[in-house]
Amino acid sequence: MATTKSHPKSSWDTLHNNGPFDLKTLHITELAGSTHMFSKYDRYNDAAQEIQRLIREAADRNEGFRAYGSAWSLSHIAHQKDNMHYNGFMSIHIPIPKELTHEDTNYTNENLFFFECGNTIKRISEVLGSHGKSLKTSGASNGQTIAGCISTGVHGSALNVGSTQDYVVGLNIIIGDKPTDVVYLERHTKPALNDDFAKKINARVIRNDHLFNAALVGLGAFGFIHGVVIEAEDRFLLKRYVKKIKKELAMELSDTMDFKNSTFKIDGEVDEDGDPSRPYHYKVFINPYTNEDKYVVEVMYKKPYQAQYPDPFPVIKTSLYKDLIYLLIKVSEKFPKSIPWFIKQLRKTILPEVNEETLGTLYETFWDAPYQGPAFAASVGIDHTNSSKAYKVIEKMTQKEGPIPGIFAMRFVKQTDATLGFSKFPITCMLEIDGVLWEKSRKIMSLTEYSRRMIEVLQENKIPFTIHWGKNSDWKFPNLVKDMFGDKVTEWKSYRNGLLSTEMQRVFSNGFLEDTDLHTPNEINEEDLIVSL
Amino acid sequence: MKLRNKTFIKWSIALVICCLFSSCYTVRLKNVYGDPKPNPMNDSKDYYRYMDVQEIDTVITIKATDKDFTMLIKDCGPSGISTIEYRNTFGGVLLSAVTLGRKRRVRVKYVCMKPTN
Repeated sequence: MATTKSHPKSSWDTLHNNGPFDLKTLHITELAGSTHMFSKYDRYNDAAQEIQRLIREAADRNEGFRAYGSAWSLSHIAHQKDNMHYNGFMSIHIPIPKELTHEDTNYTNENLFFFECGNTIKRISEVLGSHGKSLKTSGASNGQTIAGCISTGVHGSALNVGSTQDYVVGLNIIIGDKPTDVVYLERHTKPALNDDFAKKINARVIRNDHLFNAALVGLGAFGFIHGVVIEAEDRFLLKRYVKKIKKELAMELSDTMDFKNSTFKIDGEVDEDGDPSRPYHYKVFINPYTNEDKYVVEVMYKKPYQAQYPDPFPVIKTSLYKDLIYLLIKVSEKFPKSIPWFIKQLRKTILPEVNEETLGTLYETFWDAPYQGPAFAASVGIDHTNSSKAYKVIEKMTQKEGPIPGIFAMRFVKQTDATLGFSKFPITCMLEIDGVLWEKSRKIMSLTEYSRRMIEVLQENKIPFTIHWGKNSDWKFPNLVKDMFGDKVTEWKSYRNGLLSTEMQRVFSNGFLEDTDLHTPNEINEEDLIVSL
Repeated sequence: MKLRNKTFIKWSIALVICCLFSSCYTVRLKNVYGDPKPNPMNDSKDYYRYMDVQEIDTVITIKATDKDFTMLIKDCGPSGISTIEYRNTFGGVLLSAVTLGRKRRVRVKYVCMKPTN
């Protein structure tokens, strides 16, 4: 039997110390041992029953319930004030045999894998690697759980691939405590697995593109994501280059994504016509406090996998004294004008080494990122054609009203099908500022105030934008989500209202949904939305 | 003369501080593969935040005839070790020096690998 330890706890915090937030109970569920329950499906279903029990208990107490994994989100999206459920120990994985694939599927069964919610990106990559497969993309690191990634839209900078949710082809969600409250969702236009699979996990199947896309980036509001089916691909290598190029060229590439006709050329990275190849990954690092005429860019090209290649891991890694970082930030709060100087001194720690070249798998390239103290990240998504315009106005605001202790980066992601996916533009430029968390002082504005100014500046300049769900922002900004997603908000709510009972909508709500006004149901809902199409 | 004394004292303090800092260091061995065993209740603010870290802080006695010293770890099971950290401090160096190497301060932290399902 799966067992849950429920710990009374007065507060909870994210990994990067963006809280603390009030809490009553932290639940930790561990699966039944494999020696007691041989079948992985039995252990999985046993865990589902345990989760349903916890959901019922929370509902009976008129409380909320929310699952979380690695606590990597910097916003309060993972937080629930009553009951938080740590699901990191729920990490079963099951390859999919051919007999469980749907008769109309276009997916190859060798590429389909079923992972329970608590599997980290790192673990998934290791499992896939042992099958000669790889994830299509990941975030900049590997510690997030798969359920957390897709619920918040974690992305890398894969121009032609998309975000983590974009390779998910099936969702197993627990939406209540009744037997029919275990559902398995797929797109009806792209079915992956057959009803026999759903029977194995005791789930009711609903094949419906609209429902699936709404639940995909579900912000934890569609229930407890217990498992996901992902589509992997053959293992590949990434050749990574770090270059310093003219600002104008870096921005031109960001605005156009036209690598073929650009002057940015790396020896050997050309197509059959001798023109520059389109990279798999393109990232621009920008220190807003220097007058240098060049930016550092990181570019990666996809290569076929080969067994022999140089070890991409450095043998020794060092880190700064945390006390030193703490001291710098305290000085910055008193004397913000010192921030540009500090960033300049720390540039070798913050930025990748110019002219560095590595070759490795996705797993090796986007590896561990250990905790290094309180951190913030504010990230807005804009159409890539607006990259330089958006950066210019935000840089101007940061220089004029700041400085704040962070540096900018731009990453680029292909459009998602998820209803509330923030990578909603054909290619979304994720313009982000990352740095060390600071406290408001008389001389430096707070992070929320800075985030609010980012929103205001983009609105003033009429640049359509979205915000990364898992990052810091002024989430209470009036009409923020409606402004970002328009009618998609109503669509998302309609499918949530249709799938979840009123009681369960309350259970799976939290402060983040309230702040963003996503917790309230639509006034009128279409009936019979939740059907297989 | 007074100025010379002051300068001497300042340099001496700086030297002692340098010695203290350089004798206090951390060496960490980390497995490239696998996840560390998590502990969501561990909300410390160090490297091991949200990890199930175990700590050994003891003084061992080494006899003149002992070549080495092996401490057995039993709580990781077959999953193995994810991270192990050895920390040396000025106090530890001093203890070893005073006891001519017979007594050694051992400060080790380790994290097991997260069991796979």
